[in-house]
Amino acid sequence: MIAAKVEEYAFGGLVAAVGVFTLVDATTIAGRDDNVVGPRAFPYAVGILLVVTGIAAIIATARGKLGQAEEAEDVDENVRTDWLTVAKLVAVLIAHLVLIDLVGWPVAAALLFFGAAWTLGATWWRALPIAVVLALLVQVVFAYGLGLSLPAGIFEGVPFLDG
Amino acid sequence: MLLEGFATAAQPEYLLYALLGVTLGTAVGVLPGIGPAMTVALLLPLTYTLEPTAALIIFAGIYYGGMYGGSTTSILLNTPGESASIVTALEGNKMAKAGRGAAALATAAIGSFVAGTIATVLLTLLAPAIADLAVQLGPADYVALMVVAFTTVAALLGSSPVRGLASLGLGLFIGLVGTDTLTGQQRFTLGVATMSDGIDVVVVAVGVFAVGEALYVASRLRHGPIEVIPVGGKWMTRGFWARSWKPWLRGTFIGFPIGTVPAGGADVSTFLSYAAEKKLSKRPEEFGKGAIEGVAGPEAANNAAAAGVLVPLLTLGLPTTATAAVIVAAFQSYGIQPGPLLFTNNGPMVWALIASLYIGNVMLLVLNLPLVKIWVKVLQIPRPYLYAGILLFAALGTYAVNFVVDDLIVLLVIGVIGFFMRRHGYPVAPLVVGLILGPMAEEQVRRTLQISEGKLSALVTSPFAAVAYSILVVLLVVAVVLRLRRKKSEVTV
Repeated sequence: MIAAKVEEYAFGGLVAAVGVFTLVDATTIAGRDDNVVGPRAFPYAVGILLVVTGIAAIIATARGKLGQAEEAEDVDENVRTDWLTVAKLVAVLIAHLVLIDLVGWPVAAALLFFGAAWTLGATWWRALPIAVVLALLVQVVFAYGLGLSLPAGIFEGVPFLDG
Repeated sequence: MLLEGFATAAQPEYLLYALLGVTLGTAVGVLPGIGPAMTVALLLPLTYTLEPTAALIIFAGIYYGGMYGGSTTSILLNTPGESASIVTALEGNKMAKAGRGAAALATAAIGSFVAGTIATVLLTLLAPAIADLAVQLGPADYVALMVVAFTTVAALLGSSPVRGLASLGLGLFIGLVGTDTLTGQQRFTLGVATMSDGIDVVVVAVGVFAVGEALYVASRLRHGPIEVIPVGGKWMTRGFWARSWKPWLRGTFIGFPIGTVPAGGADVSTFLSYAAEKKLSKRPEEFGKGAIEGVAGPEAANNAAAAGVLVPLLTLGLPTTATAAVIVAAFQSYGIQPGPLLFTNNGPMVWALIASLYIGNVMLLVLNLPLVKIWVKVLQIPRPYLYAGILLFAALGTYAVNFVVDDLIVLLVIGVIGFFMRRHGYPVAPLVVGLILGPMAEEQVRRTLQISEGKLSALVTSPFAAVAYSILVVLLVVAVVLRLRRKKSEVTV
């Protein structure tokens, strides 16, 4: 309960901080400010909205009105947040975006699918072949079906995979 | 005009696109974790190779299909589903458990078909007339309409107005990033060159919907077998028709107007329809235990509202739901601005689109009644693979926009924001609506003030704008009163 409150303060603070940034950075936008509304007016309004709602969210939290977590079909309301899984998924996504330029899209994509499925509880020897086939299939469909070539990386020059 | 539209939409090529759209739409409606908004966003870059009419027919199919698919899930899956079909889950789920799943599925699908078709007829009749009137609206009137849309989507719907408005603010901020259209000034780009074109709508929509949702579900994933209730009982009996047809019609006429006004789409209409059926029923004691009227009415209302949302979308360019907002982005990516001039400038395309809605409804009836067993199989996809697939296609769809890795970094950041928003009751729809309507609103405000030479009063003196703001004030007062009264009754209870 206390952890949820701290998080909620932090998110309200983040909203307000984005608002402060908007207000401060808006002053640096060049533009004439005669009688016509320039490129700064709207940013000021958005900044004020963010600061006010961010602070209001913090006040609501302090008064014990916490936000209701969203419901979804696959969400189990009775379990605690599994931060490790979230961290692993974020790590897998970071690995994916780093690897695209290094070894090409097919490898990076296979790793993303395999990593995510494994993290979420799939059996590794079942997830691995599915990941490889799926990544190669998308690569081929993009290259030949849509005429968009995803970087082939280590498969450069390989027929069908390098569009 | 509509006949010409049918002539276009009935060409084999377009029929195939419509079929593709409704099939995809039903699939994403059935599957938890993906919705129509995200699917349309994901497919945006992939459809750049298609011509606009074909792409929009696919998107419309996804939009209607998602509504049908959602009801199958809420009837057969043992857990509550997407907001618009929660009411269906109340009665439909009970019916399925009592061995009457077939009747529940049938009344949902046929009700959706009846409502969808009647609502599309109303759309056909109303849209050109409203477009004619809308041509006379000035920039100040548009500002008023957008303010109404912002307020209802962000503050009136959902449980926390503050969090809705904060979400709207975040969307408006993201919409500001990039080059100012009127003066060419860079705003909030932090000096990064790729930011000067702004943050792509696809990246934001996929980030909050796909990545945010996947991370959120993963954090509290329901493990163990997926419990799908077997489809039992007779499909349609005489009692079925006798008890269903009135709720279908009532649902349609509750849903369509609510969808049309910017009062936030399907949720409200399903609750109202449910309440109406419960009140009018001769057997109110059955409600809560599996009353077929409680499925028939809300499902019809749900679909009629979905069609109603298309009225402001096509005639005013005003999206009132997240999916509608993404569809506006799709129009814009083809250089088409939905609004009053759409029917004059792009007549053949709009009419083909509307004709495809009629055709799509028929296809959906076939897809969702005789073929429902297939969707039950889709429902059973093991969740690790489902969410891994969502993440893979989210990353792919984002990367395919510009083929730069920077977009994936933005995707991840927005995904993490979407994750925390879900944890703390910040609705994500206002963010997407703000992102797409924000730049349009800014342009109209500045145009108004340019004409009035800076007099702020010009924003409210036009009769139409004045009426719109007055209605908004009344709505806000009613909402506050209702909220206070609810609080009072909670205290006394």
